[in-house]
Amino acid sequence: MQSRKWRVISHAGAAVVTLGLMSGSVAFGADTRPGSEQGSNIPPSRVIAGRKLHQPPGLSGTGEDARKSVKSFVTWAGQSVVEEQGDAREVLRSAAQNPDVIQAFTEEILEAHKSGDSSRALVALGLLGEMRTYEGAKFLAEFVRMPLPTKGTVIEGELQEEAQQARLQAKAVAGIAYLRDPEFDREVLYQVGAHPSVIVRAEAISAFLWNRGDSLEARKEVEQYVRREELLFLDRVRRVSGETAETFNRKLTAYLKAHPEVQAPKPEPKEPRPPEEKPYTFDVTPPKF
Amino acid sequence: MNFKQGIALMSSLLAFGLGAEAGAVCTQTGASQADRDLWNTHGCWQDFFLWQYQAYGLKSGDWSNRGWNDACNVSLEFPKHWNASYLLTYGMLDNFAQSFHGTADYRGTAEARSSNFHDSLYHGITDRTDVFGTFSPRFWPWDTDKVETACPLYNPNASNSNPASRAGDYMHEGWHANFDKHNINNGNTGGHRPGPQGSCTINGCDYFYFHGISKYAFGAMWENDGTANRFHSPNQVQVEFLCDVSDQSQWWIPLSVRQTAAADANSRAVSRFINGPGYSCGSPRPW
Repeated sequence: MQSRKWRVISHAGAAVVTLGLMSGSVAFGADTRPGSEQGSNIPPSRVIAGRKLHQPPGLSGTGEDARKSVKSFVTWAGQSVVEEQGDAREVLRSAAQNPDVIQAFTEEILEAHKSGDSSRALVALGLLGEMRTYEGAKFLAEFVRMPLPTKGTVIEGELQEEAQQARLQAKAVAGIAYLRDPEFDREVLYQVGAHPSVIVRAEAISAFLWNRGDSLEARKEVEQYVRREELLFLDRVRRVSGETAETFNRKLTAYLKAHPEVQAPKPEPKEPRPPEEKPYTFDVTPPKF
Repeated sequence: MNFKQGIALMSSLLAFGLGAEAGAVCTQTGASQADRDLWNTHGCWQDFFLWQYQAYGLKSGDWSNRGWNDACNVSLEFPKHWNASYLLTYGMLDNFAQSFHGTADYRGTAEARSSNFHDSLYHGITDRTDVFGTFSPRFWPWDTDKVETACPLYNPNASNSNPASRAGDYMHEGWHANFDKHNINNGNTGGHRPGPQGSCTINGCDYFYFHGISKYAFGAMWENDGTANRFHSPNQVQVEFLCDVSDQSQWWIPLSVRQTAAADANSRAVSRFINGPGYSCGSPRPW
């Protein structure tokens, strides 16, 4: 956001300096250094090398033990890396028959959501979706149907609490679609048109198509549920991890050809401003990783 | 002194009077899992934060009660600020065949120094809760552009309080600076077009200027040819950065960071563009 109000205050600050009403320098580089007594001199490459990969904690137990087990698994999964995704999936598969573990995941999701730690809730929702269990999907469907908040902090006309929950519900709807079960597919298709947030509707469309290999049949099936003004979402360009320029660019070219209406207008120029008088030139290479 | 400068001077005296109100801070009770997970990959790397504060033009007075002297406390704003800088400085894969843009682009947009990306700027912080960040262009010729990030990027219970979303805001605000350098008028609603309109559901909307992968050399994101064929909007730069964190980041970037980046990119892509949704990224597979 470009701030007019703060621009005035910024200008005001400069005027104050000019008039000598404030003490202290505002010149770059003239400030005191930040500090800490706990700072480390070890470069991250060595810190990262010290972390042992492929050692996921187990998922097991009943009652409180299952709860502890899930907590520690979610913490591990959050800090795990792409090459450990297979490890997580294996543990999740082996625990899929344990109802206490599934129950513990649902509690963890609700607790993280309640505390406002969206990143943890997102991780836990992804893990539960990956388990592909009937009970897990049932919870995810209930989660997607939770009413969106109507009060809170508004930024640029967007209610943050609503957007926060919608992002999590989008993750949940992806988990439902991943079960690839007719009963739960009906829920995904329902949410394609009915969910009040476009964030969730868009993910429901994408997940439904992706789980059917983006086939023409799947497109026809989901099309009946898509809102008229959102039909464009059926053709939306998706970039997947590891995709090459060639395949992505081919999809993009086809999209732009099929939808010339998405072409943006020519940018508008404005009056040039005077050049800056004292460019800041700090150009020191960051420390070696 | 002209009329505008007169107003600025009067405002400055008012602001000076209100200075006593300063001292409020964002919520400092903790950090999101994504912040903590990324933090654990460096364990509070001193060499980096001693470089970062200069690269971003931070002023001690702005950050004094926000971790300036407690730079390893990830519950505070300055440590969270440099944690996000660490992500964009070292975390990108820079795969020309697959990434939208490279580290040179994201650093050039975020950092303070004057370049093709923007004139000199510095990063401050505000306690506002009604914005993620702001860009304030200089007024006096000797003044400096200012990027401020706000509490919704720092409060641990806010959805964008994670390193990728915070760094994404550096891109967004840095791109307003790019528009000022290159004399682009992107609208009068906080530097955006008024909304809702078209597919944009919020108040401040942009267009998405679609481009393929490998179409910009790394370091050339700032280029525009004055047409829609070679151009970026602030929200677009933000989405492309978030998508690169999600799909094209270094192997050691924690999955919590990648997944929050994808969630932010995808929600932003469907709600902020007039001419339909931007790209989607991340995987529809849950894990």
